[in-house]
Amino acid sequence: MSGVTLEKIVKSYGKIEVVHGIDLVVAEKEFVVLVGPSGCGKSTTLRMVAGLEEISAGRITIDDRVVNEVAPKDRDVAMVFQNYALYPHLNVKENIAFGLRIRKESKANIEKQVAEVAEILGLTEYLERRPADLSGGQRQRVAMGRAIVRHPKVFLFDEPLSNLDAKLRTQMRAEIKRLHKRLGVTSIYVTHDQVEAMTLADRIVVMCDGRIEQVGTPMDLFNHPKNLFVASFIGSPPMNQIQAEVEASGDKLFAKFGAHRLELPMLHELGANDHGRKVTLGIRPEHIMTQADPDTDAIEVELDLIETLGSEALLHTTVMGKPFVVKTETRGDLSHLENVRALHFKPDMLKVFDGVNGDVFDHPERLK
Amino acid sequence: MANLSDKSRWLLRHFRREWQIYLMLAPAVIWFLTFLYTPMYGLQVAFKDYSIFKGVAGSPWIGFEHFQTLFDNDDFIRSLKNTAILSAYNLLFAFPAPIILALMFNEILNQWYKKGAQTIVYLPHFISTVILAGIVLTAFSPSAGIVNTVLGWFGVDPIYFMSKPEWFRPIFIGSGIWQEAGFSSIVFLAAIAGVNPSLYESAVVDGASRWQMMWKITIPSILPTILIMLIIRIGNLLEVSFELVLLLYQPATYVTADVVNTFIYRQGIQSGQYDLAAAAGLFNAVVAFILVMTANALSKRFSRTSLW
Ligand SMILES: Nc1ncnc2c1ncn2[C@@H]1O[C@H](COP(=O)(O)OP(=O)(O)O)[C@@H](O)[C@H]1O
Ligand SMILES: [Mg+2]
Repeated sequence: MSGVTLEKIVKSYGKIEVVHGIDLVVAEKEFVVLVGPSGCGKSTTLRMVAGLEEISAGRITIDDRVVNEVAPKDRDVAMVFQNYALYPHLNVKENIAFGLRIRKESKANIEKQVAEVAEILGLTEYLERRPADLSGGQRQRVAMGRAIVRHPKVFLFDEPLSNLDAKLRTQMRAEIKRLHKRLGVTSIYVTHDQVEAMTLADRIVVMCDGRIEQVGTPMDLFNHPKNLFVASFIGSPPMNQIQAEVEASGDKLFAKFGAHRLELPMLHELGANDHGRKVTLGIRPEHIMTQADPDTDAIEVELDLIETLGSEALLHTTVMGKPFVVKTETRGDLSHLENVRALHFKPDMLKVFDGVNGDVFDHPERLK
Repeated sequence: MANLSDKSRWLLRHFRREWQIYLMLAPAVIWFLTFLYTPMYGLQVAFKDYSIFKGVAGSPWIGFEHFQTLFDNDDFIRSLKNTAILSAYNLLFAFPAPIILALMFNEILNQWYKKGAQTIVYLPHFISTVILAGIVLTAFSPSAGIVNTVLGWFGVDPIYFMSKPEWFRPIFIGSGIWQEAGFSSIVFLAAIAGVNPSLYESAVVDGASRWQMMWKITIPSILPTILIMLIIRIGNLLEVSFELVLLLYQPATYVTADVVNTFIYRQGIQSGQYDLAAAAGLFNAVVAFILVMTANALSKRFSRTSLW
C-alpha cells in the first residue's frame, strides 16, 4: 500500500558521501519524523524521496513502485518547504490551486477543491490575499493547503515550522497532528527539533552524520535509547552524563566516579570481567531526587542557578566538573529548592553507556 | 521662532553625529553640481539671443523665439519624428531582447556552455562605439561586406544598405541590440538568480514543466525588475544612442536617421547656433522628464513597483 521504503539509500555530492546507506520502512498512514542535528542529511534524504535529488545508490519504493527513475511529478508526493515556497505574485487561492492548474484540472473542480481545503485550514476569508499580506502562521497554512489539495499518496515536510515563533509553532504542531489524523496520509517530516519530533511522530528516526542511529516510537527512544547520541538528543533538557569506571565487587557491579560508588543494575554484556572499564552514566533530569542534607548514598552538590518554569524548575549544578541539570517540581514555591544540597538517583533509572563507542548496556530482559 | 531654533539645534546635532555619512555623500553631490547643475545655468541661452562675445548673462532675452524657429523648421520636425520612431522600435525590440536572452541563459544547464555564451554576448558592450560602427559599416559594405557576400551566393545583387533610408532603422536597432543586449541581460540574470529556488522545487513536485515554470514563476518574479528597467528606459527614451546614429548616418539617410540630438549637434556645434541648440535640448529634456514621471506613476499604480 502507500508506504515508503528506503533500501540502502546513499547520496554523494561528487566524491563526498553525505548519506551512507539508509534503510527505512514507512508504513501506510504512518507519521514518521526524521530528526537529527543540522547537516546530518535529513533534508537530503527527504529530497531523494521527493525526487528533487538523484539517488546515488539504493532503492526507494512508494506504494510498491520503485521510483528511483520516476520524475517528481509522477511520484504522487507533495512537499511543504521551510520557507513555504509561496508564489509572491499569486493570491492564496491561486497558490493553493497551482498544482491543480499545472495538471490542467477543470475550473469547477479546482474551485471546489480549493474551497474545501481553505475550509479545513481556516483560510476561507484570506483567499484573495497575497502572501505578503499574511502572517507567518497563515502562510504556513497556505503551504499546507497547496500540498493537501493534491491528495497525494505521501506528504513530505522539510522543517515546516522552523520559521515560526515558539507559540505559533506549538499551535501549528497540533494542527498538523490533527490534519494527519483526519486525512490519514503517509507523512515523512523532517525537523531538527526533538520536541517537534516527540509530539508529532508515530515513529521517530534519529539521524546523525548521514546514518540512522535509532528508529522507534517517541517513548521507546526516550526510555530506551540505543546509544549516548540518541539519549542526549531526545529529551529536554538533555540527559546528564557522568564519566565513571566499572568496579566488580563480589557478584555486584558498581560505577565509581570521584568519591562515589553507585550500584549498577543487572546489565546485558557487562559482567565481573569488565572491572576497570570506562563507562558513561546517563541520568535524565526528571529522574533525580533532591535532598537537603547529604547522606552516604547521595551526591553532594552546590547549586549554581535555579531556572523557574512555573510548576517546574531546573536546578543547575556541577557533578565531576561537568554541568548537571535537575528538573524538579516547585509546588508553587522555590524556597525549598534553595536548600538542595544533595542528589540521589535510583539505579534502575540509570543508563550505562560504553565509554568508548557510546552504545548502551541494556537490561537483559529488554533484549529478549 | 522657538520652533525654528529647535530645528536648527537638532540639525546641528545631527550633522555632528552623522558627518561621516555626509562626507561619503560629498563626491557624488559635487559631481552632480559640477557637471549636471552648473551647466544648467547656461540653459537660459535657449531664451536669449546668445552671442559668445556678450556671454550668457550679457545676451538679451528674446523669449520663445528659438522654439518658434525650431517648430517652423522641417528638419527639426523630421528629427523629432525619427527620434520617436527609433525610440518606439527600441522599446519594442531592444528592450525585450536582454530579458529574452536572460531567460534563455537561465535554461542552459551546462555551466561551461552557459558561461562561455554569456561572455561572448557581453563582449560587444566593451567595444567602443566607433569600432562597433566600423564593424557594422564593413559588414554591410556593398563591395566586400559579409552580408552582401552571403546575399550574393543566393544571386542577390549588392544592396547599398548604408545609403538607403529604409535600411537605416533595422540596422541601427539591430546594432544596438548586438552591442547592449548581452550586457543588459546581467540585470535580469541577477533578478532571476534572486528567485527563491524552493519555488521551482515546489513547482517540480507539483508537476510543472520548464516552460510553465518560466511563465508562472520566473517572469512574474522578475517583473518588478523589468518594470524598473522599463521606467528607466522610458526616461531615456529620447536618448537614442547619439554616437551610433552619428557614425552610421549620412546625408542620404537623414530622412530616417536624423534625430534630435544629431540635429542639435549639427546646428549647435557645427553651425555655432548654440542658443537654438540649447532650445532643442531643453525641449528634449522636458519631454523626457514628463515621460519618466508618467512611467513611474503608471508603474506605481498598476504594479506596486516604482523608482521613487
Ligand atoms: N548540493 C550540495 N552539494 C554538496 N553538499 C551538500 C549539498 N546539499 C547538502 N550537502 C551536504 O550534505 C549534508 C546534509 O545536508 P542536509 O540534508 O541539508 O542536512 P540537514 O539534516 O540539516 O537537512 C550537509 O553536510 C551538507 O553540507
Ligand atoms: Mg535541512
